[in-house]
Amino acid sequence: MRNSFTLLVLLLMCCWVPALAQENTVSGRVTGADEGMPLPGVSVTVKGTTIGTTTDADGRFTLNVPSDESILEFRFLGYRIQEVRVGNQRQVNVVMATDTQQLDEVVVTALGITREKKALGYAAQEVRTEELVQNRQPNVLNAMQGKVAGVTISSTGGAPGQGANIQIRGINSIDPNRPNQPLFVIDGIQVNNSTSTFGEGAELRGMSNRLADLNPDDIESINILRGGAATALYGLRGANGVVVITTKSGQKGEMRVNFTSTAGWEEVNKFPKIQDTYTQGYTGEYDPTSFWPSWGPTWQEARQIDPTHPEGIYNHFEDAYETGNQFRNTLTFSGGTDAITFSSSLSRLDHEGVLPFTDYQNTSARLNTEVKLSEKFSTGGNFNYIRSGGKRYNADRFNEMLSYWSPRWDVRDYVKPDGTMQSYGNDNPIYAASTNQFEDDVSRFIGGLNFSYKPLSWLDFNYRIGLDTYTDDRTRTAPGPRNVPDERLLDENGQGFVHEYTTKFRSINSTFIASLNKSFGDQFNATVRVGHELYDEYIKSFGVQGEELSVFDFFKLSNARFLSSSENESEYRLMGIFGEASFDYGDFLFLTLTGRNDITSSLAKAKRSFFYPSASISYIASEHLELPEFINQTKVRLSYAQIGKDASPYSISSGYAPYTSLPTGYTGATRAALLGNRELKPEFTNTYEAGLEMSFLDNRIGFDFTYYYSLSKDQILNIDVASTTGYVRAAINAGKMRNKGVEIVLNATPVRTTNFNWDTKLIFSANRNKILSLPEGLEEVTYASQFGYVGSTVTMKLIEGQPYGNIYGSHWQRYYGPGEEEDPLFIDESRPIVIGANGFPVRAPLSSQKLLGNSQPDWIGGFTNTFTYKGLSLTALLDARVGLEKYNQMDNFFAAFGIAEYTEDRNQTRVFDGVLSDGTPNTKEVWLGQGVGPDGVDYGNGYYRNHYRGVSENFVEDASWVRLRSLTLRYSLPQQWFDSIFIRNAALSFTGNNLWLSTDYKGFDPETSFSPSGSNVDGFSGFTYPAVRSYLFTLNIGL
Amino acid sequence: MRKIFRYILAFAIMGAVAGLQGCEDYFDKEDNPNLVPNPPLPTLLTTTTHKTGINSYLVSNITSYFVQYLASPSAGGSSDTYQITDYTGTWDALYWAMADIYDMRQLAIEQGATEYVGVANVLMAYHLSLVNDMWGDAPYSEAFANITLTPAFDDEANLYDVTTQLLDEAIVELQKPESTVRLIATSDVIHEGNVANWVKTAYALKARQLNKLSGTSFYNPQAVLEAVDNSYTSNADNAEMGVFQTRNPWAAVALSNAGNLLGGWLSEQLIQHLDGTSYGVFDPRLEQITDPTVNGDFVGTPNGTGNVGPANNTVKDENYISRNSPLTGDESPLIIVSYPEVKLIEAEAAFRAGQLDRAFEAYREAIRASMELLEVAQADADAYLSSSAVAQSASELTLDRIFQEKYVVTYLNPEAWNDARRYDYQYANFTLPAGAALPTFIRRVAYPSGEASKNPNTPDVTDLSLPLWWDQ
Repeated sequence: MRNSFTLLVLLLMCCWVPALAQENTVSGRVTGADEGMPLPGVSVTVKGTTIGTTTDADGRFTLNVPSDESILEFRFLGYRIQEVRVGNQRQVNVVMATDTQQLDEVVVTALGITREKKALGYAAQEVRTEELVQNRQPNVLNAMQGKVAGVTISSTGGAPGQGANIQIRGINSIDPNRPNQPLFVIDGIQVNNSTSTFGEGAELRGMSNRLADLNPDDIESINILRGGAATALYGLRGANGVVVITTKSGQKGEMRVNFTSTAGWEEVNKFPKIQDTYTQGYTGEYDPTSFWPSWGPTWQEARQIDPTHPEGIYNHFEDAYETGNQFRNTLTFSGGTDAITFSSSLSRLDHEGVLPFTDYQNTSARLNTEVKLSEKFSTGGNFNYIRSGGKRYNADRFNEMLSYWSPRWDVRDYVKPDGTMQSYGNDNPIYAASTNQFEDDVSRFIGGLNFSYKPLSWLDFNYRIGLDTYTDDRTRTAPGPRNVPDERLLDENGQGFVHEYTTKFRSINSTFIASLNKSFGDQFNATVRVGHELYDEYIKSFGVQGEELSVFDFFKLSNARFLSSSENESEYRLMGIFGEASFDYGDFLFLTLTGRNDITSSLAKAKRSFFYPSASISYIASEHLELPEFINQTKVRLSYAQIGKDASPYSISSGYAPYTSLPTGYTGATRAALLGNRELKPEFTNTYEAGLEMSFLDNRIGFDFTYYYSLSKDQILNIDVASTTGYVRAAINAGKMRNKGVEIVLNATPVRTTNFNWDTKLIFSANRNKILSLPEGLEEVTYASQFGYVGSTVTMKLIEGQPYGNIYGSHWQRYYGPGEEEDPLFIDESRPIVIGANGFPVRAPLSSQKLLGNSQPDWIGGFTNTFTYKGLSLTALLDARVGLEKYNQMDNFFAAFGIAEYTEDRNQTRVFDGVLSDGTPNTKEVWLGQGVGPDGVDYGNGYYRNHYRGVSENFVEDASWVRLRSLTLRYSLPQQWFDSIFIRNAALSFTGNNLWLSTDYKGFDPETSFSPSGSNVDGFSGFTYPAVRSYLFTLNIGL
Repeated sequence: MRKIFRYILAFAIMGAVAGLQGCEDYFDKEDNPNLVPNPPLPTLLTTTTHKTGINSYLVSNITSYFVQYLASPSAGGSSDTYQITDYTGTWDALYWAMADIYDMRQLAIEQGATEYVGVANVLMAYHLSLVNDMWGDAPYSEAFANITLTPAFDDEANLYDVTTQLLDEAIVELQKPESTVRLIATSDVIHEGNVANWVKTAYALKARQLNKLSGTSFYNPQAVLEAVDNSYTSNADNAEMGVFQTRNPWAAVALSNAGNLLGGWLSEQLIQHLDGTSYGVFDPRLEQITDPTVNGDFVGTPNGTGNVGPANNTVKDENYISRNSPLTGDESPLIIVSYPEVKLIEAEAAFRAGQLDRAFEAYREAIRASMELLEVAQADADAYLSSSAVAQSASELTLDRIFQEKYVVTYLNPEAWNDARRYDYQYANFTLPAGAALPTFIRRVAYPSGEASKNPNTPDVTDLSLPLWWDQ
């Protein structure tokens, strides 16, 4: 009843106002400079009075002003405040410019608490929708690349839907199996961003990180909470940082419809350089059926023997990849009344990759709604349904098979008319991709309800309950033999198989917060919050593997001769009770104290409950002191936080797992892979952070500088252990790790005129990690290794005093004279290489494994420039990652199989630069080729196979890069075109991603990674799904 | 409307409070629901006996290239040519199996299940010998017992002693009458719960161990013969494992090869050993080991050379592991140790002890039993036994003849490499593989990178021509 009354009053007011004040009425329209779109909800006030209104959904306003001298003030979150003197104008149209340097901004912090940015005693950086959708990346994480300080985001490869990895302030956790990924919170609901590798071989199939389900067009803003003080209230799940995502909500007013369509194509952005001289065979002898793809003679020589040999050899790497394409449509509806607002969207993405037969689809539907039941009580709901998935292929195998494939043959000729593999002998990778399939189909629902009750002006209660649940069905199939004459079977297809896997995931997240706010005098304010949070997660996975198909291509389990099963179940529960007290004095000094006690189900009873505090201070000098005029704002921040962290579920228990290598009718048990540890205690990280934010010259230049230092001790990790222990991994509390670093955000507007704006933003961050101590009795902890031929396998291990990410491996022997001591860890590159009596460089004994590189960058940077001229804008984002190394396994194979461009010198002689074991210079001339050289000496398998490929040092490369991450040209069609038609606004844009890449790395784009997203192992980039360069066209229409 | 929301709010708060109160049980998620804390002994018996069979295959799939039963279809195969090759997968499989065997033994001791203690000892001894004979020094005393994450490497000669000791203990334990838990036929995939056969297997392995010392001063042929006396009396006693998820792993290799996924190619050495080239008489077992080529003849592949043509490698003009063989058919069991082998051990020990008649009898019986195992037609077996390839009297018997026969009997068995090393690879026409990475025959393999990278105690062995302690 009362609601209807309120509505009636409002309606009356709407009609009443124009009638009252006809003479002094000013009306107009507010649009955003960035997209030229009308801005709804802009606050329009007459300066110095309480007269004001907000713009409607169309950006229009009407206001009664007291006099012509009145000054209208336009305020809108994320835009610069604009003042306009009314004068004799009755129509005031305003274009508002975006502002990323506003201390008055309100930001969403932990647990959905909105706070003024100036009150924050820690770094927080927000990415808004305009910035986010600019490069039209289907995966939200990729869309954030290069835009946030302190955050390293890597796409693990260019496959459609392929997972991306995000790291905030370096690696905090030693355990590669314990994702270092931040917590993701969408509209207050903790959502899952795992990358599931359930299903045979899934870890190499470029599976999606679950956040890829989210449609970037749905997002209003993303706030990244980096330090301990920022994430303290989230408890241990926020220990690696928190990404707080707010999706678009509706505005009251008439319904608006927005349609966005993106279409484009993509191609591999970087291919390795390969030789184009030598053809199939071994020791220079031509053999068109040889396993060896390129150790034969030159193709010209081969043509003398075999006239069917093509003129030249194929570039099989370029041939095997295609042009991919993508197409995404999003339709959104929003609107509402005073009581109810809503925003909904529907979207569909179709994406085909550059590796043949890989694709990804995503269909998403969303409804966000807010209901204001009374002045005291409001409620709302967010609902998102997603269906996603596609065909994935194993890029590691694909590129490995490509390496074995002889470029004497056309790899694209992959199938015979009878459907079997076309091949001269080796497996054809395209045939493999076309037949050996792995398809996922995810059906996901994320929903949340929130209730807010404010019985008194100083008291409010907030409760939110959220659900994230999905089913991930995966089907892995390969056809069996067709039993036709001369059939060649593909290794990995075996006798045909069908595997069915299902994972059910469910997490419930409940948060209750009570807030009390009290002012003492006009200078002192206090807010106290207490709350309770619960997270309850259940995952169940099961699979049935059917091997050997009776009907070769009938992919049903009942058609398989042998069945086996796999299953896994996990439950995890976490409860936190927390409090926060914040005080502000005189609007320039802010102090926030927090405390949280977590109780986790993953530790033993005695260690399960633990408490940790945080404190942060923000001091706004510019509000307190008289500063020179050119300084607009000055803010100093200081914070300290402690964060606890628990173990992965079941790290404390050992036992026996089913032994699954038995046929039906037999059962067995075998020692579980993990040696559990009941004594595990929570690990704690202490972080200290200091920051300074300043802006100058009418806010045209500003910076935000942050320094942090964090120390983690008693890290919980599952280390790989030697099989002689009888286990694969063991859970331990291990040692100390330190991270420290700086983050800088620079904003400037070098040009600001009525029609032309130039905005620039520079982010820079550098993190330094060091392992301070390892558990007693361990000299090193190996957490990853990757194969390399004859002793060139590299390992990533933790060694005291060294940083995380170090890559170790075999190396050339350097010369040390009598009495000179060799450092066991570091290569002294100033020393000459020792050359053996045979004239070839000598590899140091394999027991000597030295540091060859580090996979963590020295620094990362992003540099965005936006030029806006009327409705036209051009944005360029340069992204850099510098000072890191990766192991290039592909190059190791390229050396072994004579594919690399540098193996072109195989039929030359050389005097290797170096010294003999007695220190005298080497003068012996040797032949690099295979077999008997021109000097009559038998060189066997040749330099590249006998020597070069066996030394890891040759394959750990500088993986630094600088790239033009994106270039976007956008044109908003002039507003006047639409004044009389049903379209409100329209814009066209072109986006190019990865248009330019500069790197010394020899393989594919070194941003790609062998490991699935979510892994902490980022040192291997060889046979990866190559990154892509994409060209996208977008049309946006508002109705 | 408002009422509804009030109720929801009230329930939600109640739910939160209830969560707080019931928290003790609510957070008790210590035990992994995917694991069994205390498995019954029979389930461990199935696992350990199955793994033992599979591991004999895994090891043989390496050693069969060294003894030239098998050859890689392409040139320069790394095992063929003695290159340092990473056998992490096999090493891990051996040690994870030993961990299960160790646990079964501990549990069996706790429960007084002496039969299980005995079987565990036999299986452990077998695994230890496989590890010991490939790598030499290896972790045992500190392995799989959860004492350290980086077990020390025990001296190879000590491991030999431990192996023999385990077998002696096994013989005692297996013969104790009152095992609290009995072996179960359906859980024992080697001897179907037959304790007497386990005792015989313990003796057979002991005979192997003792006979391995033939080149050392510790050699005692009498002790070998004593062990043989208590061992197998027919092929029915053989230790073999024939339970597979799909098929015998050699048959799987053969099946893949049939689909041109090449593998399981028989070496020229083996073919010539059997087809009369080396010993003048066609051995009928050849036809039971492999199928004739498309040309109807028998052609092996030289190690290190790969496919010799003239046709390309998918034309079936050479011999491969066959699914038609009684040894490598889909359902053929993997033989761990057999009666014919034991008889040849007896022949060798007796020969070395100067008991020529006993040696001769055992030698003939071994050949007969081998023919039987390979299902050779009686007439063909008899013809071979009376041919010049076989000693016809005790005086004709030589060690060479014994090793000649043993090479056939241990086809695809890891024990073949031990014999080859003891015999210095002196089989007729046995040569270094083409492109060998060593100047001499291979004597050991390098430690796998999987262990070396995680266990700093791993010795750095790069010289694969370095003999083991018993191989001097």
